[in-house]
Order: sequence, then structure tokens, then C-alpha cells
Amino acid sequence: MLLEASRLTMAFGAFKAVDDASVAVNEGEVLGLIGPNGAGKSTFFNCLTGDLRPTSGTVHFDGRDVTRLTPEQRARLGIARTFQVPLTFESMSVLDNVMIGAFLRHHAAAAARDKALTVIGEVGLLGFADASAKSLGTPGRKRLEIARALASDPKVLLLDEAMAGLTPAEIRAGIDLVRQIHRRGITLVIVEHIMEVIVSLADRVVVFHQGREIARGTPSEVTRHELVIEAYLGKRHAAKLSGGAA
Amino acid sequence: MMRRSLPLLLFAALALLYPLLVAGSEVYQRLGALVVLSAIGASAWNLIGGYAGQVSVGHAVFFGAGAYAALAGYAQFGMPPVAGAPIGVAVAILIAALIGVPTLRLSGHYFSMATIAVAELVRVLVTNWEWLGGAQGISGPAVPRTVLDLSFTSAVPYYYIFLAVLAAILFGTWRIEKSRMGFYLRAIKDSERAARSLGVAAGRYKLYAYMLSAGLTAVAGALYAIMFGFIDPESGCGILISVKMLIMAALGGAGLLFGPLVGALILVPLEEISNSLLGGKGAGLTFVVYGAMIVVIARFLPSGLLALFAGRMRPAGKPSETEPSHAA
Amino acid sequence: MSSILLQVIVSGLLIGAVYALFSSGLTLIWGMMNVINFAHGDFVMLAMYTAFLVWTTFGGGPAAAVPIAAVVLATIGLLSYFLLVRHIMKGPMLAQILGTFGLALLLRYSAFWYFGANFKTLPDSLLGPPFVLGSIRVDAPRLLAGTIGLLVTLSLHLILTRTALGSRMLAVAEDATAAQLMGIRPERMQAVAWALAAGATGIAGALIATFFYTSPTVGETLAIVAFVTVAFGGFGSVPGALVAGLLIGVIEAVSAFMIGPVYKDVIVYTLFVLVLWTRPQGLMGKA
Repeated sequence: MLLEASRLTMAFGAFKAVDDASVAVNEGEVLGLIGPNGAGKSTFFNCLTGDLRPTSGTVHFDGRDVTRLTPEQRARLGIARTFQVPLTFESMSVLDNVMIGAFLRHHAAAAARDKALTVIGEVGLLGFADASAKSLGTPGRKRLEIARALASDPKVLLLDEAMAGLTPAEIRAGIDLVRQIHRRGITLVIVEHIMEVIVSLADRVVVFHQGREIARGTPSEVTRHELVIEAYLGKRHAAKLSGGAA
Repeated sequence: MMRRSLPLLLFAALALLYPLLVAGSEVYQRLGALVVLSAIGASAWNLIGGYAGQVSVGHAVFFGAGAYAALAGYAQFGMPPVAGAPIGVAVAILIAALIGVPTLRLSGHYFSMATIAVAELVRVLVTNWEWLGGAQGISGPAVPRTVLDLSFTSAVPYYYIFLAVLAAILFGTWRIEKSRMGFYLRAIKDSERAARSLGVAAGRYKLYAYMLSAGLTAVAGALYAIMFGFIDPESGCGILISVKMLIMAALGGAGLLFGPLVGALILVPLEEISNSLLGGKGAGLTFVVYGAMIVVIARFLPSGLLALFAGRMRPAGKPSETEPSHAA
Repeated sequence: MSSILLQVIVSGLLIGAVYALFSSGLTLIWGMMNVINFAHGDFVMLAMYTAFLVWTTFGGGPAAAVPIAAVVLATIGLLSYFLLVRHIMKGPMLAQILGTFGLALLLRYSAFWYFGANFKTLPDSLLGPPFVLGSIRVDAPRLLAGTIGLLVTLSLHLILTRTALGSRMLAVAEDATAAQLMGIRPERMQAVAWALAAGATGIAGALIATFFYTSPTVGETLAIVAFVTVAFGGFGSVPGALVAGLLIGVIEAVSAFMIGPVYKDVIVYTLFVLVLWTRPQGLMGKA
């Protein structure tokens, strides 16, 4: 078990965004976190990364308790992430952006630069190394964020709705990239609400609804799960589907 | 590489020869020394305000620490003023830690508020502390005792001392720019959240930048005290000093290596001219102009003048010529 | 408790209510847009001069000066928002801080240039003889200021929590994007906040002018009082500003009484540093 959240609860006053969620991620797998909007998956995600401190529960990484650690401390241990709305360093070039990630393990500027160029090549942004991050479109920025995170040599990469806002062609390219990253041995946790992405990439899926886990299993198991269909499409539609399906 | 350093070398040569070029005029020599001294203060401010993006509006407190340490060392213990400078630097760094540790973790506005409050606090304390001369201030050696007192009648020796210090600061800043710290500060400025997600201890780096900035500002204060031989709460810790440092850096280009120098080259002569034209009445007007200038810069040109001319990165779509491992 | 000390405390509470009044504007702006108005103290200063001008131009007392100052300052607040603040909020931190800081300098030294450095005062006779309650003497101007300060601050709180306008403003303060999706226009609400906040400084300044020296640099100290009050009470919390303002007023008055007027400022500034270190989010707010 590489990353484990245990009985995680995140309450804002009386409202529980995440309610007693326990999720374990095994080394080398791709775990999908899905759920309709407002299901609490992003909040849960941010508890894993350290942006939010859970009201109760723990997060363990590689055997140690990281619940109280800051995002930068977790990054140093090997947890990397991307952001739902890309937070690229706009005033810097693509290369400089990725160097920030590389600097985590390579303190000298020349070494960080080499590492960054290598990673940029791997994600297919080599032609844009000197371009300003500002001038990239959304898919470019998302790819840049991934490159930046990869440059920090993470053990697990957390992707926050990386495919949101992309065209179908861009999504396919994105899926290829993620597969490529997975092949290199990096564990992945993917938050998505585009079903097709999860189905193509995830080994296992956990479904959130209203802060709680309502189903888990393989993608095909989960997509046929009654509660999941209900959560996404509503009770009546789910009844119609199960009534209509033979 | 050669093409870019040529104008720089020319400028450096000009700077070295300047006092000789204006050999006849004491006024111009003094102006030159003042420009360089102002550039030192503004470059020090630039480290925290420009590179780290944390806007200190109370930097005068560090300037005062340096100036007062220098002259108090003389007035109370008979030391040459320059010997008091390291103490001023230490005090400045301590104050920076006092302000920075709790506030740099929070929003930038909180930090700025804190810098004003502490600067005011110190100014009031100093005004009422007889050991530091109270409201009257402290004077340096009226007659130089040894060469260590650095008491010169001509502005030229000061000019060269200040130039050496400025060169050292700019060189140091340039090295930082190219190092991990420089990259990290730029990242923090653009998106602290993203930087932290990549392992950057944002609070710590901002604090380092602030402490370094404070120490260098104290050096500027000590140099001022050595040249002018007098310091009081207004000239040492007054708000005008904070304003001048930040306006020179912001006008020239905050976060750019030569921004503060450009700002000093423009504003110091301008202030001298307006002072001689308007006399005493000009003093109040200076602040009005500075205030208006700051508002205009904030509204229309926050990146400063130099940013208009600085090289731009190529937009996406043009092929890059970067290869790995070329000597930077 | 000695009657002198009681008197000092009452006096502190009264001035504290005025501090609460103009600080609640500052905290409201923060809550709405995460920006500190560094010119806030100078708004109060302008209000004081407005009151002075009302007196010298047509002999009007606080009854005229307070509403006039409120309107004048509300206008200045709106102008500041539309011409400057709205734009700098889209810029880097440097622009956000320098924007209102530059405005502060501009206002302060324009007043210095136009009115001169000398103190101005309004005549003592404007409001009648001091009130006597038991063993406590209270000057009429201070009593009026404190009472109105308290009432207006409470009104501001009620506007925010009990009216439709107020709930729209609070929605923007909570989450501007979400509010926009609900059809509320954040820019408009922010402009209202600036008008209300500046108007509050107008009232506060016109009241202070009846018992305090009016000078161009008075805004410098008042700004820091406002910062301390907002930090203490919690950024974004008007009730917090009220409680903190009263507390600061009392602490200041008691300090002045015990160790002298010069050091009362030092106590307040030191209190700020302590708040920074121990509880930066204040009693009731969000940092």
C-alpha cells in the first residue's frame, strides 16, 4: 500500500464534504476517483495532497503518517499533483516551469535544466521549451503541469481532472500520455468525471457521492453498479434503465 | 552573449569614469554618489519586493538600523561609524525575522501592513530614546580621526565606495537569479500554491529573501550615515525613505536586476532639480508627485520601465534551439 | 475601582466605538475583495478636513458635517474603486499594495500642500458643556462620537446580515464566482462595499474632528489603529471589528493614563505585533 487514506472526514462547520472515506492505493496501480459534481472527490483529493487538513482521519504514505504534513513536505516524499485549473508559472518559460519541479532533486541549476529538458522531451513539449507558459493553450498547460510534476521524480502522481476542458482528440492524446507515465512505474490517482477516461485508464475505481464512498471495484463493475447509476443519473432514470434492461 | 554584455561593459566603464568626467563640478559628483547610494537601497528592496513579490512599505526601519548603529557606535563608544555597520545589519535581520516569520505564511497584504506598523513603532521608539539621540538625532565625527572614519570632504571617494558595494549587490543578485533560490522566488511570485506542490518551502524562501534584503538595506543606511554624518528619526526611519526605495525599484522594474538602478538614475536627478527649482515648498510637493507616480505605476505599469524593453520569450509555435547541457 | 480609572475606561470605550466604525469599513473591504485599503486612514483625515471646511464655510456643526462628510467620502470611495482599485485587483501583488499605498500618499500630501501642516481644531463650544453621569465627566463631543460610532457600526452589521443587499454582498465575500453564477454582480457589490466603507470613515472623521486635532498626517496613525483593530477582530468580521475597536480604545486610554500619551501608540503597535505572532486570524475572522 503506497498511499492510504483512513476514515477521512472533512467538515466545514456542519457540512461534511468528505464523510468517513477510506481509500488505499497500491504501488504501480492506477486508481480512479469518480463521482458527480459536489461529490467530495476534489476535497478528498486535496486532503491527500496536503492543501486541506482533514477534520479527522489519517493519510499514510509509504508507511509514514503524513496527515499533518504540508504540501511541500509531501512533495519531497514523492507525492506530486496537477491542478484542475492549471497553475502554471505564467511569467516563466516552459523549460523554467519544469525546472522548478526538477530542482526538488537536483539543486544545481545545470543539472535541473538537463533533467527538465529530458522530461520535456518525454511529454512531447520539446519544441516549446523556450516558449512562455502564458502562450500555451489549455492542453499545453495541462501537459506542462504534468511535465513539471514528473520532473520532481514522484512515486505517486495525483491528477485532478486533467482531461476537463479538452477536445476528444486532446483527451486521447492525454490518455496516451498517462499510460506512458504509468508504464514507467509511477502510481497514479486520477480524479475524473469523464467516464470514458476512467474506463480506459483505471485498474480500480472508487465512486464518491455526497462525501461518501458508494461503490468500488473495476471500471466495468462500477459502471454497472446501481447506486452509481443512480448518483449520476438520478433514481428515476436508474429505475428506467434497470426496468428497460433485460 | 558578447552582444548582450557590450552595452553593460560600456555602462560600467562610464560609471567608473563618471567622477572624472564631471571633475569640475562638486554638485554633479555629489549627485552621482547619491544616485549610486539610492540604487543600493532600491536594489536591496528589490530582493523582497521585486523578486519575492512581497511588498514591504516599511523598509526604512532597516535603513535606520544601519544608520543608527553606525553613528551610535561612534557617539556612544567612539568607534568609527563603519564598525557599527555590522551591528546594524544584525539588528535589521532580527527585525526582519520578527516581522517575516509570522506574516510571510499569510497573505501578502498582511505582510505589508505589518511592515508599516513595525516601521512606525520603531520610529516612535527611536524618537523617544535619548541614547539614540531622541528627536535631535546623532552626528558623526565632526573632524576625521583616522582614515577609518571615512570622512571625506569630496564626494568622489564615497562615489567609488558606493559603486563597489552596488556592484557587489548586483553581482550577488545576479547569481541568486540564476540559482535555485532565484527560480523558486519567481515561482512563488507566480503561484505560491503550485510552487509548494513541487516541494518549494515558500515561507522559508520568502523569509530568506526578506532577511537578505533587510541586511543590505542596513548597509545602505550605514553608508548614508557615513557620508552625511548625521541621522535623526525622520532621515533614518521616516516614511520618505521607504517610499523612495520602492518607487525607484518599481519605476525601473521590480524583479529585474537593473530596474532599481534605472529608477535611481531617473528619480534622484529629478528630485534634485525640483528641489532647486521649488525650494522649500517643493518638499511637500515631492510626496504628492511620488504618490501620484506610485498610483500610476500600480495602475498602468506595475512591471516597470525596463520591462518594456527587456527581451521577451518567444511565443509557442516557433521552434526552439535549446539543446541539453550547453554552458549557460 | 477609582473613579478616574472608570472615567478613562469610559473615554476609551467612546473613542473605541469610533475606531470600530472606521475599522469595520476596512474589514468589510477585506472580506469582499481580499485587499487592504492602505489609504483608509487618510479617508478619515479627509473627512476631518471636510468637517472643518463645513464649519469655516457656513458655520455648520456636526449635524451638517457628518452627513456631508459621509457623502463626500462615499464618493471618494466609489471613485477610488472605479478608477483604481478595480484595475489593480487584476494585477500582481505589487500593483495591489502600491495602488492604495500610493493613493494614501497622494491624499495625505495633497492635504498637506493645500491646508498646510498646522493643526486645525473645531471650537469646543460647538456642542455644549460636558455631561456628568455619577462621578464620570464625559465631553459632549466624545459622547456623541461614541454613541453614533456604535450605532452606525451596528447598522452596518445589520445591513450586512439582515438585508437583501447585505446577503448579496456576503455572497460575493464568500465566493465571488459562485455569486456571479447566481446572478449577482461582484463588481457592483464591491463598489457598494467601498462606498459604505468610505462613508463610514466620513462619519467617523467628522465626529473625531469635534474633539481631536485635524492635521494632514493624522491618517498615518489612524491607519495603523485600523490595521490593529482589523487584525485583532479578525479580517472580514464587522462584529469582530466592533469588539476589537472597543478593546483597543480602552487599552489605548488606559495606557495613556498609566504611562503617558507618547507611549500609548507604542502599546497599540506592540499589540499588533503580538497579534501577528499569536493569533493572526484574529478573534473572529479569516486570514
